[in-house]
Amino acid sequence: MKAVITSIIVAVILASISSLPVLAQESGAITITMTGVNDISISLDKTQWPLGDVAADTEYMTSPPIEWCTLTVEGNCNVNTFIVGEDAECIDNPSAYKWTLSADGTNGDNVYGLQFRISGDTTRGPLGDGYVPITKTQNEFWPYSGGSGSSLAPGDTKQFGLKLLTPTYFVGSRQMQTQITISAATA
Amino acid sequence: MIRCIKLAGFITTLLVVFLPTFTLAQEFKFGISPAEVHIDDLPPGETSEFELTIHNKEELAHNFTLTTFQPPEEERREGRDGFPDNSWISFSSLEIEVAANSEATVIVTVTIPREPKWAGKEWETWLGVTAESSDLLAVRLYTRLSVSTTPAVGASPDTGLIVGIVVGIVLFGCGSYYYYRRRT
Repeated sequence: MKAVITSIIVAVILASISSLPVLAQESGAITITMTGVNDISISLDKTQWPLGDVAADTEYMTSPPIEWCTLTVEGNCNVNTFIVGEDAECIDNPSAYKWTLSADGTNGDNVYGLQFRISGDTTRGPLGDGYVPITKTQNEFWPYSGGSGSSLAPGDTKQFGLKLLTPTYFVGSRQMQTQITISAATA
Repeated sequence: MIRCIKLAGFITTLLVVFLPTFTLAQEFKFGISPAEVHIDDLPPGETSEFELTIHNKEELAHNFTLTTFQPPEEERREGRDGFPDNSWISFSSLEIEVAANSEATVIVTVTIPREPKWAGKEWETWLGVTAESSDLLAVRLYTRLSVSTTPAVGASPDTGLIVGIVVGIVLFGCGSYYYYRRRT
């Protein structure tokens, strides 16, 4: 009889020990912290670049080349900014024909290059001329690794320009469209 | 033959139009808040919700899309790992129209699976809000979302209970067996 009672007590204790963490966990409080009343916002004073007809294997630059568009920090928090591009698609039939965006700003058959240059940046980029390739992977716009710049504060601005290098070969008479996304996250 | 095709293609390039938009360039302003959210002590198996507000500062209504984005390690806060699975985050609406000079709220829900391996973790992911546009340049704004789960609790609740009951039954059986053997 003594063994039975002992067994029951041990079983109850074991079951309780196993369940204790569960009970403790379910009674805990979840904390949600929203950083102040921070509003993140940036604006661009230009969003379109009407190019018209383009020739193959040719470079086109915005005008003015590096003060074409102004990015302004509108919110109330410091931000880091990023840039990403995408393939150019035929407007009439996006799935039928596209130009692939190159990963290094160069071009090829049905492959085009995009680059940006921020005003004041004279040595950035693979060629050290200030121009940085825009790729399909989101990369730093400003500030950037290895640069001396810091995050942008509310009211700060950055002027930049774009450079397009058309494919060495592409199918003509088609209207192509692409999009470059500039993003911001709190610093 | 290939040369001829390439030559024909080159000649026709003069007829190609790239980005044929001749409308006037427009400045477009919107904002999101909060810029950063921390969810602390979220136990695996539990759910947490918060509101994300989109402010349309324009004179026209606009559509906005919501996505999650895994930031690279160098962009995350120190000590934070990447979020293991962005499908654990859901939005009350993936696309929302916000009226001119107005704001709209989207509920963001974070659910961590009930598995011990997700206890005691610190993660970060970004929630992106993009204004739909056919223009060349678009803007996306991110809210940093940091999630910390409660420390390790050993086994999951159900497993612990089941193990306890099984051990209890085994011990009870052994005890009964020895009791009846001693009596006989």
